[in-house]
Amino acid sequence: MSVAAGGGESKIDKTKLTMYGLGGGVLGIYLAHVLNMVTGTGYFSFLAGLGAIAAVLMGADAVRRVCAYGIGTGVPSIGMMAMGMGLVAAWFGLAVAGVAGPIIGIAIAMGFGYFVGMLANKIIKMNIPVMEEVLMSLGGAGAMVIIGLSVVISGQIGYQDMLNDVVFTGYIAIVFIAGALAILQPFNANLGPDETQDRTLVLAISTGALGMFAAGIGSLVTVGVGGAVLTMLIAAAIWLKAFLWFFKLVKRDSSGVVGTGLLPEGGL
Amino acid sequence: MSTFDASTLVYVLQIVIGGLLVGIGVHFVPVGGAPAAMAQATGVGTGTVQLATGSGLTGLISAGLMMSVTDNILLIVLSGAVGAMIMIDVTMLVGNWVYIYGVGVPPVAAKTDYDPITKDPQPPYISPGTVGHGVPTVSYVSGTIGGLMGGAGGSLIYYALMNINGVSGLSAFFAIGIFVVNAVIASYNIQGTIEGFHDPKFKRVPRAVQACFVATLIIGIFAVLIHGGA
Repeated sequence: MSVAAGGGESKIDKTKLTMYGLGGGVLGIYLAHVLNMVTGTGYFSFLAGLGAIAAVLMGADAVRRVCAYGIGTGVPSIGMMAMGMGLVAAWFGLAVAGVAGPIIGIAIAMGFGYFVGMLANKIIKMNIPVMEEVLMSLGGAGAMVIIGLSVVISGQIGYQDMLNDVVFTGYIAIVFIAGALAILQPFNANLGPDETQDRTLVLAISTGALGMFAAGIGSLVTVGVGGAVLTMLIAAAIWLKAFLWFFKLVKRDSSGVVGTGLLPEGGL
Repeated sequence: MSTFDASTLVYVLQIVIGGLLVGIGVHFVPVGGAPAAMAQATGVGTGTVQLATGSGLTGLISAGLMMSVTDNILLIVLSGAVGAMIMIDVTMLVGNWVYIYGVGVPPVAAKTDYDPITKDPQPPYISPGTVGHGVPTVSYVSGTIGGLMGGAGGSLIYYALMNINGVSGLSAFFAIGIFVVNAVIASYNIQGTIEGFHDPKFKRVPRAVQACFVATLIIGIFAVLIHGGA
């Protein structure tokens, strides 16, 4: 199959990225929960945001792998689908499994993804060989981003608390759209024949940090000013670092602009 | 955890019907994608998901408003359908203004020789090198039908979930989640662009019906098990 929308060589292996994404995401979410519980404060909520950034990296890489085949519907569609599957699975996990909720939610989201990928290949006949595997990663990443950003806002994993802090306050709208944009924007902004994996992933860190910052603003009223400001400061620092790094990579990858002077007399 | 009884089955059925309506409705909406944004293909110049989500969300808002005053499923679903129809119609109308007065092209369909509704010949108006431009009558009518089905489907999902968990924020976002999954599956089926019900790609609807049915059933079973807290 031809490479339609670009997508260069992968320097970092997808298995490694998926492992780090899953490990980092789950670790961040649980560390935030446990440390907040033990210390009785909200200062460690930012760890869940770091977990969400790890998940965004995994999702953004999955997006670039599948979109290289030219899915015909634009990059945003697959990011939104990841969030759609992730949202239902994540809240299902939280509702039925208590503290084990995030893991159950992520696992179910990955199941949804595999299944929808199979439907796309078998019934819709898209015939994209990586579809099942990519949608599995994307579903898991979507669920992790939703749980991660929600835990930033609520400070802990507990269905009733998360309902009160994330759903009743309406912050779920921000979590949904900021998470979706964080996953789909990196490849959408970089696609083309000169796309490079490191540039896309560095942009993913910066969009993930913006999502974390938005969740930090949401947590001002729920986990308290101290924890929220800490989350926002860390997110802002990560964003600044990642964006400068991204700018450097853009300059590295861009073509040179050379002045050639005017055309010579009679040159046309 | 909610118990799984007969009424839950009815809710799952409503969600599945809603998902199917969304999946089929997407096939009616004239989506042109990036070529249409440059007035080189018939339809509105954006992706399926943007159009479907835009009209679907408007449908959800109007359905939610209706649900705050009545429990009548027919009124709620109709209200959602009308909201989505208004949204998609306004989008197509303003898009047409841009195409007609801004770009300076007549709305024309490329996949049919005669507009099935107005009987106007189409090929003379197609600019060379393009596959139609703007939103012609047949696509406009088709898009309105798409809005009706999408809005009705979205509000049916919302209605079912609202009866289970009773939390409007949760129900609305689950409805959006199920909505986008079906809209994306359907837009893969049409490979991102379609002119309306006269487009040959419309014949692929049965495939989307199968895929959306299975996908909604699986996600719906999980969605109905989520309760609204104490």
